[in-house]
Amino acid sequence: MSDTTAPAAQAGANKSRMRVEVCASEELPAGEMIGTKLGPMPVVVVRAPDGTLHAVLDKCLHQGGPLSKGRLGAASMESSGVDDYRDDRSGEILRCPWHGFEYDIRNGSLLAEPSRCLRTFTVTEEDGKVFVSL
Amino acid sequence: MSTTALSIIDTDIHERAELDALVPYLDKRFRHYITEAGWVPDRVLPYTQLTAGGLDRADAKTADGRPGGSDLGMLQEQVLDEYGHEWGILTGWLNASAFHPGWAEFKTALMTAYNDWQIENWLDKDDRLVGSIHVNIHDPKGAVREIERLADHPRMVQVMLYIGPTDSPFGDPIYHPVYDAAARHNLVLGIHHSENSRTALGFHRYFIEWHTLVPQVFMSEVVSLVFNGVFDKHPDLKVIMIEGGFSYVPHLMWKMDQQYRELRAEVPWVKRMPSDIVREQIRFATQPVEEFTWEQFSQLIDQMGSDELLCFSTDYPHWDFDSPLEALPTDMPDDLKRKIFSENARAIYERLPAKAPAAA
Repeated sequence: MSDTTAPAAQAGANKSRMRVEVCASEELPAGEMIGTKLGPMPVVVVRAPDGTLHAVLDKCLHQGGPLSKGRLGAASMESSGVDDYRDDRSGEILRCPWHGFEYDIRNGSLLAEPSRCLRTFTVTEEDGKVFVSL
Repeated sequence: MSTTALSIIDTDIHERAELDALVPYLDKRFRHYITEAGWVPDRVLPYTQLTAGGLDRADAKTADGRPGGSDLGMLQEQVLDEYGHEWGILTGWLNASAFHPGWAEFKTALMTAYNDWQIENWLDKDDRLVGSIHVNIHDPKGAVREIERLADHPRMVQVMLYIGPTDSPFGDPIYHPVYDAAARHNLVLGIHHSENSRTALGFHRYFIEWHTLVPQVFMSEVVSLVFNGVFDKHPDLKVIMIEGGFSYVPHLMWKMDQQYRELRAEVPWVKRMPSDIVREQIRFATQPVEEFTWEQFSQLIDQMGSDELLCFSTDYPHWDFDSPLEALPTDMPDDLKRKIFSENARAIYERLPAKAPAAA
């Protein structure tokens, strides 16, 4: 897991005001994440185990915990009863470093209460670089 | 850089010692209990916290793997500087009151070592921190001796008890000499739960059950202190319940009052309605806070009959840390914010200096 925040200076390569270069592609391997800023908004960019890129607001809906300092992992999926544990979605669940709120990186939804969602952002990969935009 | 204009008195910050670090401060007669015999603190809780960082915020652990609260620089950066604290009240890591009563002499000496370590490594290094005198409640004479030893220290503001696994709630008269000493020196009595605190039915199957039920043990201690006459004996003593939250308080006040109306004859030494005792002498640190709307929160305040009972706390560095910026309803009126974030604490912690010195 990476908890490195991309230096603000890297935003100097912006193609537009609300699109920022996050990092070189090789700096964000599968199963890792990196924090950056899109304008005033903290954003965490995640590369899932299948190689797809996802970005959500880097601020927990609960008390604002910095999600990029948390943990990427699996989730205990809904099961049939006591003693039935089914871990799944490895590397696709982002856990807040403070109170442990769990978010689906693909849509920003809170696992315990899916109607509550983090803002999501568009992530693209061009010429060996990762960009995030509105 | 401070991110808030609020004056904050944080009533629950945990500094953390490595056990080995306490050995040089420990009475030489007992050092081998740790260095050779391998004593470690009791831990009854049968689970760990299934959070991102275990007991601590994942971002509060040190780069070299030490637990949160081990490093003054990180504590300054993540709490004192981040939120512009006026005062941080240290509430500790090691408190013998939470342990089994056995080896009382050693554990009383361990509290002396812990207190001296706290002063030298924390209070002496940041002028925004004030401390707690940790005592071993299972050795009341030793606890009183420790309070007397440190009562004149200008930055000690309370006597600290952690709730352990025993069947002797803190209202028991055998403990009253400890409260006599606290009241005599105008020290607040801080009561904090521990990983050895049981629920009413012991330890359930899951941590989520135990953590949901933490307020039970605080309810038990409030009831014990009130009906065993601690507050009638010491009308100036102030007690703060730390890390139990506060949403249980209206229920408890109503319930105690009704029982007092019906069963007062059993405890004739209790001379005030229990809810009045609570309003006059007991305060509640806010953390851990549920996600209240302002409407829900204001109803709780109304039900308590006072806006002076709550004192803000973060519980840094633990996983259920409450942010000064977002834990409580942000649309709370400014006058109530001032009370909860500083004025209520200042009113009971009378030993806090009137104005905080410049940041270290």
